[in-house]
Amino acid sequence: MRWLWLAISVTAGTFGDLFTAKGMSEHGIEDFGLRGVRLVLRHIGTHPLVLLGIAFDAISFFSLLALLSVSEISFAVPASASSYIVKTALAGSYLGERVTARRWLGAVCVTAGVVLLSF
Amino acid sequence: MVVSRFTNRFFITLIVVTNTIGNILLGEGMQRMPDFQRTSALAYVAQLITNWYVVGGTALLIIWMIAQLSMFTWADLSYVLPVTASAYILTALLSKYFLGERISIARWIGIVIISFGVVLVAETPEDTKHRKAGAQ
Repeated sequence: MRWLWLAISVTAGTFGDLFTAKGMSEHGIEDFGLRGVRLVLRHIGTHPLVLLGIAFDAISFFSLLALLSVSEISFAVPASASSYIVKTALAGSYLGERVTARRWLGAVCVTAGVVLLSF
Repeated sequence: MVVSRFTNRFFITLIVVTNTIGNILLGEGMQRMPDFQRTSALAYVAQLITNWYVVGGTALLIIWMIAQLSMFTWADLSYVLPVTASAYILTALLSKYFLGERISIARWIGIVIISFGVVLVAETPEDTKHRKAGAQ
């Protein structure tokens, strides 16, 4: 059961981040004053891809809670960290980011570090 | 979209701090809640929205969400994710100093490796998709 919740959480979280990142990158912030904040909030509340991404994030959050109820934190946290690798790979192919060797190494370090933190 | 170095650093800090403290407050608040099966749904919700740990934690996580979404307008996903992973380090240090948890050797090594990853990625340009090819 824990592998199912893990798979749902990682997959939904990946879609969530990819869609919100893609949707938000189409917004050009002009300033960081009240007007800028209002424009960002409006973009978040009206952009279909951003809203879809937030829905996936919510699914990911609740399946993580379900995972925590059937497994230990020492399994859930490091296992979920594998999502860094999946998201980094898709940031290159789906979002068209330049994922350099330096960024790959960073993502691998973070994943390995999170696994060690659970000991 | 090009933002100043200060704005970029400010948003990283905001994301890390609101995420870490929001999660800690929410976790503390949920521990103080009654057993879900033993309470009526209405009484549970009433307790939830009057529990200041839960309310405060949720407010911070809403700020975290908006700050992270805002940062996606100018920064790459493959930049934001590793850099804001410093939240794991802050969580570990806060649990040591405020909750008195012991940090084992393995966890210290984990903290060092995450820090290394954060610094590595923080040194890359935060936006590689909006700039024109060759503009770097």
